[in-house]
Amino acid sequence: MLATCPACGLLCDDIDVSQPSFNSCAKSIRFFSQPSLDRSPMIAGKAVDLAAAVTEAVAILQSAKRPIFAGLSTDLSGFRAAFKTAQHAKAPMTHMNAQSTWRNAKVLQSKGWQTTTLMEVKNRADVIVLIGTDVVKHNPRFFERNVWNQEALFTDPQARKIIYLGGESVDSSYGVSANGKQPTVLPCAMDALPELTAALRAMIQGKTLKADAIAGIAVTDLQVVVEQLKQARYAVLIWIAKDFNFAHAELTIENITESIVTLNTQSRAMGLALGGSDGDTTIHHAHTWLSALAPEVHDLSQYDTIVWVNSFSPDKALPTTAAPVIAIGNSQMEFDPPPAVFIPVATPGLDCAGTLFRVDSSVVLPLKPTRTSQLPTLTEVMTKMDALLI
Amino acid sequence: MITLLKNAKIYDPAHGKNGVKEDIYIRDGQIIAKPSKTEKIAQTIDLNNKVVMAGAIDMHSHIGGGKVNIARMLLPEYQETLRYSDPEAHVCGPHCAHNATPSTTVTGMHYIEMGYTAAFEPAILGINARHAHLEMGDTPMIDKGGYAMLGNDDYFLRLLANKAEQKTINDYVAWTLNATQTIGIKVVNPGGINAFKFNQRRLNLDENNQHYEVSPRQILQRLSRAVHDIGIAKPLHVHCNNLGAAGNFQTTLDTMGASDGIPMHLTHIQFHSYGTEGDMKFSSAAAEISEAINKNKHITADVGQILFGQTVTASGDNMMQHLNAKHANPKKSVIMDIECDAGCGVVPFKYRDQNYVNALQWAIGLEIFLSIEDPWRVFLTTDHPNGAPFTSYPHLIRLLMDKSFRDEAFDQLNLDAQAMSNLKAIAREYSLYEIATMTRAGAAKLIGMNNQGHLGIGAAANITVYTEQDNKEAMFAKPDYVFKDGELVVKNGEVVKVVWGKTHTAKPAYDRSVEKGLKDYFDKYHTIQLDHYKISDDEIADDGRNSVVSHTK
Repeated sequence: MLATCPACGLLCDDIDVSQPSFNSCAKSIRFFSQPSLDRSPMIAGKAVDLAAAVTEAVAILQSAKRPIFAGLSTDLSGFRAAFKTAQHAKAPMTHMNAQSTWRNAKVLQSKGWQTTTLMEVKNRADVIVLIGTDVVKHNPRFFERNVWNQEALFTDPQARKIIYLGGESVDSSYGVSANGKQPTVLPCAMDALPELTAALRAMIQGKTLKADAIAGIAVTDLQVVVEQLKQARYAVLIWIAKDFNFAHAELTIENITESIVTLNTQSRAMGLALGGSDGDTTIHHAHTWLSALAPEVHDLSQYDTIVWVNSFSPDKALPTTAAPVIAIGNSQMEFDPPPAVFIPVATPGLDCAGTLFRVDSSVVLPLKPTRTSQLPTLTEVMTKMDALLI
Repeated sequence: MITLLKNAKIYDPAHGKNGVKEDIYIRDGQIIAKPSKTEKIAQTIDLNNKVVMAGAIDMHSHIGGGKVNIARMLLPEYQETLRYSDPEAHVCGPHCAHNATPSTTVTGMHYIEMGYTAAFEPAILGINARHAHLEMGDTPMIDKGGYAMLGNDDYFLRLLANKAEQKTINDYVAWTLNATQTIGIKVVNPGGINAFKFNQRRLNLDENNQHYEVSPRQILQRLSRAVHDIGIAKPLHVHCNNLGAAGNFQTTLDTMGASDGIPMHLTHIQFHSYGTEGDMKFSSAAAEISEAINKNKHITADVGQILFGQTVTASGDNMMQHLNAKHANPKKSVIMDIECDAGCGVVPFKYRDQNYVNALQWAIGLEIFLSIEDPWRVFLTTDHPNGAPFTSYPHLIRLLMDKSFRDEAFDQLNLDAQAMSNLKAIAREYSLYEIATMTRAGAAKLIGMNNQGHLGIGAAANITVYTEQDNKEAMFAKPDYVFKDGELVVKNGEVVKVVWGKTHTAKPAYDRSVEKGLKDYFDKYHTIQLDHYKISDDEIADDGRNSVVSHTK
C-alpha cells in the first residue's frame, strides 16, 4: 500500500512506509517516523479527559467577544468541521501560511494569471526558470519526480534548460542533469528581485533597457534568458511566494505572471507557484467554496481568544499573545507555558485518513492511516465542541 | 408514513399529463399508488388546484470544481457588491454570496428555492473529479452529478493516434465513468485544448491536432461511438470547436454530422450559432441551427442563454478563453493547462443590452428556444454562470412564455442588433407543459434517470408546487412548496429543512485489462498513482450526508 505524504505541497503518493529506504526525502522521513504519543488533553497544563477539555474550550469560546480560528494545519474533513464550529462561534479563520498565500492571491485578484500543473512540467517543459528559489528547500523531490524523469511524452527530460534566476543561497546542484548538463545560474539579492523581474517583464515586452546590468546580472545574460523563453516549446516559470519576504511581493509575482501573459501571445509558457505546506492549498480552496471568499490574513493580537489548529507541524510554535489559546492538534505539539486548553488529535496521513489538495491546485489526493491510533480526529473534536456551542 | 397532496393540477409530460387534476401519495421518499383505505394518511395538504411539477433538473450548470472555485477566488468584489447593494436577506446565513460565484451552500439553497432538485456539473476533469465531488458534497438540498471530460487528454489522443480498436476506447470511457463517479461524458473543443498546449490557436472540425494528427471529427466519431456502445443513456455532451467566434455556425452544423447518426448533445448552442453577416460581421445563425436540429433527430441541445448583467465565464476551453480574455470585464482572467488532461479558462464578463454583440447573443438564444419544435430535444440553461447565473431562470421562463414581455425587452436592445434579429416575428409562447418537458421530463430522460423528472408511481418524490400566475417570473421564482425525496423542504419560497442530496452516476461494465495500459501510462508519465485517481463510493458517502446512486442500464 503506497501512502501519500503531506509534509510539503507536492503530496508525493509513492511512499511505501514498510520499506526502510522508501521513496522519500528528509521532510517525509521526519513526518512518517514521528512517534505516536499517547498524550491526554490538558487544561492549563493539567491532564483531563476529552469531555472536560471540550467543555472548557467551549466555555472559553462562549465568553469570547472576538475569537478566531487560526493555524488550520489540517486536512479537508478536519477543516470542514472547524469551519462549521467557527461559523457558530462567529469567528473568522486564518491559516498559518496566510501571509505567503496572499502574496499569490493578491495577484490573482488583481490581474489573474496563466498557470500549469506538475504533469505538464514533467512531460512538456523544455525550459524551466526558477525565480528567486531553488524549490528543493520547500519541495525536496521536485526535480526527482518532475524534471529528471526517465521518460516524458513530449520532451527529452535530460535536454531541459534549467535557469535559476535571482535569489540568494540557491542550491543549484539539483538542476544538473544526469549527463552533467549544467543549469544557468544568475543569482541576486532577494530584495533585488522586484527590480530583476521588472526588467525581465520589460525585456519580454520588447523594451530596451538603458543599463548594462540589473541587480548585478548583465543585461546580455538576461537577454539570453528572454530569447530562451521565447524560443521554448513550453516554458515554465516557477516561484515560491513564501521566499518573497519583502514588501509588496505581489508586484514581483505580477512581473512574473505578466511576463507569461506576454509570452503566450506568440509562444507557450506557463507559471507555477510551488511550496505549500500544512494543508494551506486545501484550506484556501475549501474556505473559498464554503463561503465564496478566500480566508484572509488576520493579526492575531486583535483577537481575544485563539483556537489554534495544528495537525501536521508540531515544531511550529503556538501564537504568542495575551489571549487564551485553545490548541488542538498533533500530540507532539510542544509549548511553554501551556495553552488554556490542549486537545491532541489524530494526524491525517499518519493516524487517520484524510484529503489534501496538491500545491498546483488541480490534484486532490486521499491520505491513508499508516499506523493505529487511539486519538480522536479533529472532526470528532470539532463536532463535540459544536454540539455544546449551539 | 403517507403524505397526500390533494387536488394537484399536474404537469407531467413523461405521462402525457397536461394540467390534469389528481392526488399524489408519497411514502418513504417515493410517489406511490393510491393506498388502500386501511392505510393511514399521516399528512394531507390540499393544493387547491395549484400547479404541480416534478422537481426541476438543471442538466448543465457549473456548480463545483476547479474553475468554479477559481472564479470565486478571482472575483471577491462580487461578494462586496452583494453585501452593500442587495437588500435581500437570505436563509443561508452569514455567507450569502453573489449569484455568479455562489458558495456551495448558496448554490443548493437557491436551486431548491426555485423548485430545482438536481443539477449536473458538466465539465469534470478526471484529475480534478475528487475536488468537484467535494464541492458537490458541500452543496445542500439538491441531487448532483457530473460529466467527465475526455477528448483532450493525452491518454485518449495517443489511443487515437495509434489507431486503437474501438473496444479499447470503449473500455477506457467506461473505466473513466467508474473512476470519476460521473454519469456522462463531455468533450470540450474536441482536440483544441490539447492543441493549444502545442501552440495551435484555433482548431476546425477537420483540422488536425498537429502533434497527434487527429481531427476533432475523429474524436467525436470515436467518443460518441464509445458512449453509445457502453450503453449509458446520456449522449456524448459536445461543446463544439470555435466557441464564441463569428461564423462558427458552420462548425456547429458540420459537427451534427460527425457522429454518423449516433446521438449527441450540443451544449450551450447559443455560443455556437453565430454568422458573419452585416456591417459588424456578426449575425444570428439561429434559423440555420434550429432548422438543422429539427431535422437531425439524433441531436439534442441546451441553449446557454445569456442575460444582461455581471457574470463570469468558466470553461474547460482554454484555447478559446485565451482569445476571449481581451473582452474580460473586469479586466482579469485565469488560463490553465492541467495535468495532460485538459485545461480551463475563467474570464469575467458583463453582458450589456446596448452592446451590439451582447444584444444579439440574447436574441439568438431566444430565437433558438422558440424555433426548435420539439421541447424534448432542447433544454433550458444559461450555462451557469457563463451566460447568466442560474438564479435568472424564472426571468428566462417568462421571456419564453410571454411574448409581450419578450417584445418589450427586445425594444430596449441596441438598435443595430434589433435590426439583425427576427425575434419579434416569432409568435410562439411556451406552455407550462413545454416548460415541464424542458426542465423535468426531457432532462431526466436525456441523462437516464428513470425515477426522476416525473410524477409517476415509483418516482422519487421530488415535487414542486406553484401558484399559477400571469407573471411567470414571479410564479417560477417562488414555489409554494418543494418536496425533496418526500420531505417538505421549502415553503413559500423559503427553506424550512436542510437535506443533502444524492450523487447520480453511471457505472457501465468494462474489461478490467484496460488498467494494464493505464497503469503503464501512469507509472511512466503521470504524477500520481493510478489507484489514487479512482474515487470510491465511500469517499462520497463517508461524510454521512451524501450517497451514490448508479443508473447503469
